[in-house]
Amino acid sequence: MQFEVIATCNTTRARVCRMELAHGVTMLPTFMPVATQAAIKGLTAEQVESLGITLILNNTYHLNLRPGIKTLNEVGGAHNFQGWNRNLLTDSGGFQLVSLSKFTKITEDGALFASPFTGEPTMLTPEESISIQHCIGADIIMQLDDVVSSLTVGPRVAEAMERSVRWLDRCIEQHERSGRCDRQNLFAIVQGGLDAELRDRCLQAMIARKDRVAGYAIGGLSGGEEKDIFWRIIKQCAEQLPADRPRYAMGVGFAEDLLVCVALGVDMADCVFPTRTARFGVALTFKGPLNLRLRKHAESIEPIDEDCPCSTCSSRMSRALLHHIVTIETAGAHAVTQHNLVFQAQVMGRARDAITEGRFPDYLRTFFENYFGSQGYPEWCVNALRSVGVDLLEGKDFPLIPGSGAKWEYSDVA
Amino acid sequence: MIRLIGSDGVFQTAIFLDHLLGRGSGSQLLLTGRYYTSDLFFMGTTLDPGSQSQGDGGARMLTFHLRKSWSRFGPRLGRIALLEVPREEYTAGISIDETSSVTFDTPNILVGTSRGVVPHLSRDHCSSADAIRWINVPFESFMEQTPPIPMLQTGPDPLRTFLGFDKRKHIVSLCLRDPMDTREMPPNGNTYVSALCVRGVRKVTLSEWREYAYKLKPDIVFALSDTPFTAPPYSQKRVTKSIERSVSWLADMLRPLKSSVPSCSPSVSGRLSQHPLNVFVNMAGGTSIPAREVFAHSLAEELHGPDLEAVRPIKRLDDGVVGYSFHLATLRGSVPKPLGPHRRNQPNDVFQLESPNMLQDTGKLIEVPTPGHGEVPTSSPLPSSFAESPVPSDTASLLQASLRQLPEGKPRLVTGVRSPHEILKLIRDVGVDIFEADLAIAAANVGVALDFVFPLPPDHGPLEECKKKDVGHNLYDHVYARQYGRLSDCLAGAAESQSQFPTSLPICPCIACSPRSPASHVYHSKVDVQSYEETDRNGKVMYGPPRSRGYLHHLLHTHEMSAHTMLVAHNLAVLDRFLSGVRDLFLGGDGDDTGEGEGKITRFAVEVNRFESVYDESMEVLRMARKCWHKVDLARGKGRLGREKEKQALIEARGVSGG
Repeated sequence: MQFEVIATCNTTRARVCRMELAHGVTMLPTFMPVATQAAIKGLTAEQVESLGITLILNNTYHLNLRPGIKTLNEVGGAHNFQGWNRNLLTDSGGFQLVSLSKFTKITEDGALFASPFTGEPTMLTPEESISIQHCIGADIIMQLDDVVSSLTVGPRVAEAMERSVRWLDRCIEQHERSGRCDRQNLFAIVQGGLDAELRDRCLQAMIARKDRVAGYAIGGLSGGEEKDIFWRIIKQCAEQLPADRPRYAMGVGFAEDLLVCVALGVDMADCVFPTRTARFGVALTFKGPLNLRLRKHAESIEPIDEDCPCSTCSSRMSRALLHHIVTIETAGAHAVTQHNLVFQAQVMGRARDAITEGRFPDYLRTFFENYFGSQGYPEWCVNALRSVGVDLLEGKDFPLIPGSGAKWEYSDVA
Repeated sequence: MIRLIGSDGVFQTAIFLDHLLGRGSGSQLLLTGRYYTSDLFFMGTTLDPGSQSQGDGGARMLTFHLRKSWSRFGPRLGRIALLEVPREEYTAGISIDETSSVTFDTPNILVGTSRGVVPHLSRDHCSSADAIRWINVPFESFMEQTPPIPMLQTGPDPLRTFLGFDKRKHIVSLCLRDPMDTREMPPNGNTYVSALCVRGVRKVTLSEWREYAYKLKPDIVFALSDTPFTAPPYSQKRVTKSIERSVSWLADMLRPLKSSVPSCSPSVSGRLSQHPLNVFVNMAGGTSIPAREVFAHSLAEELHGPDLEAVRPIKRLDDGVVGYSFHLATLRGSVPKPLGPHRRNQPNDVFQLESPNMLQDTGKLIEVPTPGHGEVPTSSPLPSSFAESPVPSDTASLLQASLRQLPEGKPRLVTGVRSPHEILKLIRDVGVDIFEADLAIAAANVGVALDFVFPLPPDHGPLEECKKKDVGHNLYDHVYARQYGRLSDCLAGAAESQSQFPTSLPICPCIACSPRSPASHVYHSKVDVQSYEETDRNGKVMYGPPRSRGYLHHLLHTHEMSAHTMLVAHNLAVLDRFLSGVRDLFLGGDGDDTGEGEGKITRFAVEVNRFESVYDESMEVLRMARKCWHKVDLARGKGRLGREKEKQALIEARGVSGG
């Protein structure tokens, strides 16, 4: 990996980086769409590439089950399998073991779970996870971590954090043994739950291994924790992580979350939200989400967003037609998925320009004003951005919304 | 009117027609008075003045040239063109701008839409698919709102604009009902058709249909037709009524707007009708040969009196018609299924009807009881092979009966074909020009990648074993899990033609077999240029290796929509390639003498037989695929992988112990 910081914000901790991997250059900060089963839902690889997306995510857990390692080895990896010629990242499979399998038991050796194939107890060790990711062949691979829900409290959180550090060492060993370090880059995952002290200890231990890891992820968040704690942990981690390594916030996908994370120093994020919400008929825009299933859109000949460069909006597909087909025709899902992916990329792309041009704080203020406006700003966003020197409310009088404050278009608005 | 009375056979027609036209029965009802709703509604209030003219873009004229044709009902080659006629053309007779036209050769395909979109294809895929040239839009799904939402679209080309089809590439036609939907429906009325939308059955009146056609400006519109969607057999009365209504509804469609421009200059060659709308008519008459002949006759005969006044300047209904359509789904003779709730992503019905091979399975077709009121003799009025006794008719005979009295030079369109075999037979025996490609989409819905060519390569000998080749691959089947080659055996990907040792196989240009690196990328920031330094400077189109069967197998089993997207594109390309093979067979050679034509027809017939002897016409592969599709669909949800594997293990265990 070649990683270079090419611009930094004078006010916040935001930065623009150039990350060159085996499958090309990805400019950061960026959002990574999720192609769980080796396809972005309903789209082809070429379509995703044409949308200006250069880095996507595959899930190790799913690809290991189907098509399986044998197939992936035979076709020469997931890039070939899905026809994706740009950069690819795989997770370690640890998160799905916890979220999808009821019987997972974590031991020091690895994660013991019931195989979905046979129901037999199966062990996923850190070494095994890395080997599977070697077969998949992603440009960025993740260590196996001991994932606990972000709502977990007590000694289990510390245990998980410490084990994640030990497993990182095993992953590093396995990765270096493979001789694939020139093509695949291993990222560590900072754990420690919502406890600042545990996070500090984890950061310290993992930063000590800096020479043997290519980048860092911030894990164990986006699991329903208080947003006010979420941003503090992100800030704490991003501040301490080395400047010459990319920083990846796992599971972050709402536009306001992304921009706060970028301001706090995050370079990469992933989430299924924009593609999943598209299939339910919700189009994301700079003026907030549009729930296209609502009756109020049935007679609108306007596209989702006049200024959006996606193929849906540039063909001027109307909200009325989308209302007619979303959640009924797959082509409706494709149209909104294409749009939402471009929206996410635009949010991040405009951030890159703003950072490069020294006007990132303005961009943040404009974004929040357009996106939330008089409906009110999430209080946590205001607090988070104040902590890095940007006052969203400067000269404005908008209400503050406690809690997550995420914007949604409900039917009673119609 | 030509009095046809004179022979027994002819007498029957006259009765039919007299009844139809309100003569000889003591009734003074005329076409214009009988089934029309108020003219004032249409002329005065509903339409704004602008929409009554042809708009700024002028009119579009459909032309058809028969390039090669050797007999009325034999194979033929044609060329369809949709010409943009500038507004001045009407008055000044300026030559037509040939550049603003969509042109393609026939036989060819037409692609149907569902809720206004080609199933599974995004707009960019739809416009990039070479196989998609003619798109048909069944309008009924839009009836769930009043007014139907496409009516809200402004601009000179509302329907195409609303649906996002390409003016330079696509011909867009509009029909009311989905031609594949043969479920039981409430009866039509004298002035309305019962249409189906998610909110239930809607009555669409003649004047509404005219309004939609004039306002939305499709390139082609299908006149309303009265097809009963109840269980056959149909009574004599019902058949008569169906024909009467279909004729008068066509006449209503052709009735000019009072303020409309005079019909355009007659000098354009290949011009099909004298009416500003390009109207296709469904050839009514059901499975009764005499009824079909009567319907055809009423198109061909000269009109008089008020009937003529109503449709002036045309003199016969046929003068206002650009082509003839046939909906095979309604001719299959199966009992319509009760109307149930619309299921999402339901695999199309095209293969689910009882008889998979209608051309040979004539017993399934219902012969309408002989027309007449007892005293009327029971024979066909026109010279045909049909004698007194009701002979079971095959599709070809039904289609021929409709076409025999009408000009040869108009395109013939068929929906509801089930197999490539049926397509070949309809080309050979009827001379059909346009086929709806529903079978390609239906196959894609259930995970089948089509794989056939016409004509078969010369080295393709007869099969030794009795089992015929499948027309496609059921990619759900586990044998494909580890096949990493392209989807079709007989079509190559474009990358293979760019390789050092180019393939001799024809190329499948679809997004799965010939994926091309994007011509451009959306830039989200100025620094993005660094991501594309090498690729975007090099303007050459690069094709990637084809998507593999194993990949699509994986996508189908993981219920990923991308599988169906690629399969629709692929299957349409295969069908397109298949018909271009048919055209090439007739185009080859240089001379144009009749002997050569005979030779080609003979060669075609031989190739059709060879095709039939090699490929399985019962399309067993689709039946199997539908089962697999259903299983995977049912198994959706968390933990389904475990359930699926259990079943698979059971099946394998049984297979081992059994074999």
